[in-house]
Amino acid sequence: MGVFSYWIDTARALRTTLRNAFRPPTTVEFPAVIRPRAERYRASFALVDDENGECACVACQACEKICPSQVIKMKSGGKRESPVTGKKRAYADEFVLDLSACMQCELCVQVCNNDAIVMIREPEEPAYTRADLVFDMAHLRDNAHTKTATWANGTRLQEMQEGKKVPKAKPEPKPEPKPEPKPEPKAEPKPPTEGGTP
Amino acid sequence: MTEGLQSARRGAIDPHLSIRHYDADADLMLLHFGPQHPSTHGVFRMDLYLDGEVIVKATPFLGYLHRGVEKLCEKLTYVQQTPVVDKNDYVSPMINEQALNMAFEKLLKLEVPRRARWLRTLLAELQRLASHLLWLGTFTLDLGGALGGGSTLFLHCFRERELILDLFEELTGSRFHYNTHTIGGNRHDLPAGLAAKVEVALAAIAARLGEYEDLSLGHAIFQARTKGVGTLDSDLALELGITGPILRASGVDHDLRRDAPYHAYDELTVNVATEHAGDCFARASVRFAEMRESIRLCRAVLEGLPEGPIAASKAVRLPTAVKIASGQVYVGIEGPRGEIGTFVIAGGDTPTTPYRLKIRAPSMHALAAIPYVMPGATLSDAVAILGSLDPIMGEVDR
Repeated sequence: MGVFSYWIDTARALRTTLRNAFRPPTTVEFPAVIRPRAERYRASFALVDDENGECACVACQACEKICPSQVIKMKSGGKRESPVTGKKRAYADEFVLDLSACMQCELCVQVCNNDAIVMIREPEEPAYTRADLVFDMAHLRDNAHTKTATWANGTRLQEMQEGKKVPKAKPEPKPEPKPEPKPEPKAEPKPPTEGGTP
Repeated sequence: MTEGLQSARRGAIDPHLSIRHYDADADLMLLHFGPQHPSTHGVFRMDLYLDGEVIVKATPFLGYLHRGVEKLCEKLTYVQQTPVVDKNDYVSPMINEQALNMAFEKLLKLEVPRRARWLRTLLAELQRLASHLLWLGTFTLDLGGALGGGSTLFLHCFRERELILDLFEELTGSRFHYNTHTIGGNRHDLPAGLAAKVEVALAAIAARLGEYEDLSLGHAIFQARTKGVGTLDSDLALELGITGPILRASGVDHDLRRDAPYHAYDELTVNVATEHAGDCFARASVRFAEMRESIRLCRAVLEGLPEGPIAASKAVRLPTAVKIASGQVYVGIEGPRGEIGTFVIAGGDTPTTPYRLKIRAPSMHALAAIPYVMPGATLSDAVAILGSLDPIMGEVDR
């Protein structure tokens, strides 16, 4: 026994290693191949537009208040007439999100009553300074057009927990904050680009 | 040879040994083990007094990863705390979330819907499996990676753990900091087709557990490194408050899933694995048995998963959604490392924040065994003992 059994067991272990050597690889070459991200994968944020092409955020501050890390800061612009529809609505003048301190808990998405803030599946590009990870409104609105949104938005998350609807498997990024039939629905919120970064 | 050395020393183990009164002729050396040592699984430091190669005294030092989570929870409202406690035991965040939210539910006397309880059981068992896989990988890596060459088993375990993290990603959208539990239920329901994917992942892991056993428990080198090393008897384990696989490896048949059922465990049968040797090998065998048991439980849950709502109350829309006027409660559940508990005293500055929140971390109690089990072991055994205790410094220091 003793040392002899080490050799036997090592041979047995080598057999396992060899068997694994011929299994298909589980990793991918990252920049060239990007694994499909889950529909709910949460990486960064976007502020979506409503059907009139305006930012859907009305600066109700629900997300600012619930954020455990307090990374969201916004400034309400008050109510004014919409240049598109002519109706009065509230606007957010400033919306700043510090991704470097965010923990991607999705609470802000859940509390949004207008489905304005959503999360996107593609991670942001690496930044040299922390200030580069503080996103303003323009960047966040741009994300809504160029990146793929996740399955979740405020309505869906609330409905799932309150059992109003069976959760849908397919993502259909079509926020409808106000069911007003408007003549020209320009800037339809992006079709889902397939899995990878642009 | 090592065994003889250990048993010779074992007779005179004194965890409070004063080095000044130790044999004056001995060639003593003080070795700082950690906090940057890769096998300390984080930032853990021990002062080891070595007589030659044998440890005569070991003193653990904690606190390198202290983040003040408990204090932070006194400032955050009840609904904001779930994503924060995710980071305590960063190898099993699901179970942290459950322990926290179950405490709040008990204070509110909230009945969790049946589907949510079964879903939580599924998540807990998958998380236990993932956590034990990570433990197995790092433990064999700590032992020198001699088993099968290099970090073979380490990579195999991470490969299989990835299957589970992928499932969590599909369910919650996050690989690690899920924030999927809420007070009164769950935030995410199973998406279509995930149940079938869980089955596939479980089958893949179940098929490969045999391979892992070949590389670890059944391997003569592994046995030589772990058998008779770091023996912890049941009396001492109970006295130190050790729970979980370490306690069960010392011969105490204690498992909260069976003894104080929560979630759906009262409707399921949980077979509890125990060993009597109390050494590193026994702890490894208990965890292996638990992995098999977790796979069985996951399948049972998937079979009996009921339909219905997943949350008892309305979805959270305000940080002040949950108000608890007063009361205090302790809830302990069985995590992969033992009893994860949350003690809450309600009624802080506002009704929406607790006055005090205390988290009972099983790893911290496991580290309390170090002064007792280290003396008499050799320096190379110190790594094996620490690996078998499976400490996660995130929850030790909080």
